[in-house]
Amino acid sequence: MLFNSLSFIVFLVIVLVLYYSKLFKWTSKKRMLLFASYAFYGLWNPPLVILLWISTVVDWTAGKRLAVEDNQRKRKFWLLLSMCVNLGFLAFFKYGDFLLENFVSLVNSFGIDYKVRPMDIILPMGISFYTFQTMSYTIDMYKRKIEPARTFLDFALYVTFFPQLVAGPIVRAKDLITQFYEEKRATTNQFVWGVFLLTIGLFQKVVLADTLLSGVADDVFGSSKLLHGIDAWTGTLAFSGQIFFDFAGYSTCAIGIALMLGIILPDNFKYPYASLGFSDLWDRWHISLSSWLRDYLYIPLGGNRHGITRMYVALMLTMLLGGLWHGAAWTFMVWGGLHGTYLILEKLQKQYLPFKITKWNGVFLAFITFSCVNITWVFFRAREFDTAWNMIKSMFYLQTNGEKILDSFSIIKVCVVIGIMFLCHWIMRNTSMREVSQKTSPWVLAVVWAILLFLIVIAQGSGEQFIYFQF
Amino acid sequence: MNLKKSFLIALAISAIALTCWELYWRSQGYYPTLNDDKALWSMHRANVETATGDDVVILGSSRAYFDIQLNEWEAATGKKPIQLASTGSSPLPTFNDIVNNTDFKGTVIVGVTPGLLFSTTYPKAMPWERPQAKVNHYQDRTYAQRLNFLLSIPLQQNLAFMSADEEEWADDIDLKALLKRIKIGNRVESSMPPFYNFGEVTIDRNMSMTQHATNDTAFANTIIEVWKFFGAGAPPPDKEATMAFFLKDVEKFKAKGGNLVLVRPPSSGGLRVGESHGLPRTEFWDDLVKQANVKSYHFEDYEQFKNLKCPEWSHLSAEDAQYFTTELAKLMLADNTITTSKTN
Repeated sequence: MLFNSLSFIVFLVIVLVLYYSKLFKWTSKKRMLLFASYAFYGLWNPPLVILLWISTVVDWTAGKRLAVEDNQRKRKFWLLLSMCVNLGFLAFFKYGDFLLENFVSLVNSFGIDYKVRPMDIILPMGISFYTFQTMSYTIDMYKRKIEPARTFLDFALYVTFFPQLVAGPIVRAKDLITQFYEEKRATTNQFVWGVFLLTIGLFQKVVLADTLLSGVADDVFGSSKLLHGIDAWTGTLAFSGQIFFDFAGYSTCAIGIALMLGIILPDNFKYPYASLGFSDLWDRWHISLSSWLRDYLYIPLGGNRHGITRMYVALMLTMLLGGLWHGAAWTFMVWGGLHGTYLILEKLQKQYLPFKITKWNGVFLAFITFSCVNITWVFFRAREFDTAWNMIKSMFYLQTNGEKILDSFSIIKVCVVIGIMFLCHWIMRNTSMREVSQKTSPWVLAVVWAILLFLIVIAQGSGEQFIYFQF
Repeated sequence: MNLKKSFLIALAISAIALTCWELYWRSQGYYPTLNDDKALWSMHRANVETATGDDVVILGSSRAYFDIQLNEWEAATGKKPIQLASTGSSPLPTFNDIVNNTDFKGTVIVGVTPGLLFSTTYPKAMPWERPQAKVNHYQDRTYAQRLNFLLSIPLQQNLAFMSADEEEWADDIDLKALLKRIKIGNRVESSMPPFYNFGEVTIDRNMSMTQHATNDTAFANTIIEVWKFFGAGAPPPDKEATMAFFLKDVEKFKAKGGNLVLVRPPSSGGLRVGESHGLPRTEFWDDLVKQANVKSYHFEDYEQFKNLKCPEWSHLSAEDAQYFTTELAKLMLADNTITTSKTN
């Protein structure tokens, strides 16, 4: 089910009515939330709920055993079991065809004529999110960082909680499971703020991403022609905005919906396009994934504890795997590799060419960071290397006869939207929407809110899927 | 900060703004209509799964869609057909779906628009991709999508501003379509003339031409310009591949006991001239009928159809479509091509 759909509005109203009715006690309310979460997922593809159940049962059992087991070998066994099941799901469902395709290419490169039909495996929605979330539980249990979930119901709800089930934020057990122990009710202010966040999220998705930007990005990246530089840059900027509004929109909706239930989810985006460098970017973009990769991949790989070279290797490996997490294609690896390179270069710059960031050079640095991020998006969005390479050539005017496919209004529209987005991120980078709204008159806030609602309704949208669902 | 206050004011302002928006578009001549989309098609495609040997399924392009009126057909034969024809579509992908993915062995009427049926079997070409997308949607649609569609019906039927049609007509009034109307400069020459919506569909997928298109010659001419554009840019027909593909399914359908009927609805003006020149009847229609060896009806062969004129050269007005349907059903009944389930 999509947040930007009529069925979700009905679903949410029913859930809220049942949640706040006096019919149920807290345990029954949690059961209702769990059932609703399965329905939320199952309305997309019912049989794939079984994967959620398997993941839940395996990690619950592993967590329970890890809580009482002292034998190190047995502890390792339970951890490995959990990781094998979760990563096995990912490997089969997400990377099955990719691995097969690359295996065939490898075999063929040795002159062996080997052909095989693609398996055409369906990709379960949000599998990368819930497997990472549930794995964090068993890893933390293994490291004795957290207490086991008190009941199976609490744990199952942690794995399946519908607001963040399919596209995050990837929440750690300590931050979410414990919230299920006591009855939660949103205060009026929390509830209304949740509705506001839901409105903001839907506006980002339906109006900004789908209505204003997706068409241009699709036209440019779908074109088989060598494009004019302005078209290539416009398409890239459009995608840059689209993916932010799409994904941040989902996260904002998720945080808002959870808040309406009195559950607090962590921020996933903090105005990332005003980042001052790439370390800053990864503290602001998809925070729940970057912190997951830091804690469960970068640090176990050695982090910065074993010298500079090892740190760079760990950094690059983390970013490459982070790229692969997004999709089963080499283009995603290149995307991750570019970000890894940026991070390494930034560390070198800080070591050998340090300079102080002031308010005067800050905006320039943010603009440079944003521009470099845009280059990486080309590889993220392009399905083929040829397309990506053509785009890069066009963007840097390495070809003079590129074709113009965008009309002037589309270019102006994208530049205005992206320009406003960049300025908003810059203005907001050290504050939050909550702080700003607290300083705003209720009437001004109401008018802004009404405009957002009006635009969402007249945009209508076609219930387009969120980009990150495919990851 | 008083969030509750802001929320209530926002709700009130947006309700007023949306009411004004609705009233404005109604004052501009818009009225609530259903969108002719994949979800509506899929709802009717599902009916084929339970259809019996007495049922009739209509496939084809927009001519079969506009020209065969469901109520008139039902009045004449006693049974409402399942309308699965689609605009701008070859009938081959949908016929292939019915033949290979269902047990249906009733009557399939295939409306033949030569420029589309004989166009291509290339999956990425528009006449193929459009109907195939509908077939794919039917096979892949989720329960959530079905629910969304059902919930959207009362909104579409009651609000004029709900008009985000899949076809992306030039006169749609969703935000994306409104922004598309803004033109600044001429950086890129838009070769395709604006394509305005000229039909309205009902929940049972009965499509009829709007009164606007029927009565306003200037408006009809804008549609004619679009046909000219498509005609000028159309690649040559691929008779060999399309016939081979279709005839294979025809044989399979006949072997199952199905009854296939070919119908060539009217066209007029320059479009008919172009069709006669580019896809001559003897070479295309006659050969198709001969090789398929099924009952067939070409509008040129019947006195009652010869003088029908299409306002925009390709489709009959709602009134003429009703006449065409009634007469076509009578002909088919007289030939025992179909049977009536009407009881007097």
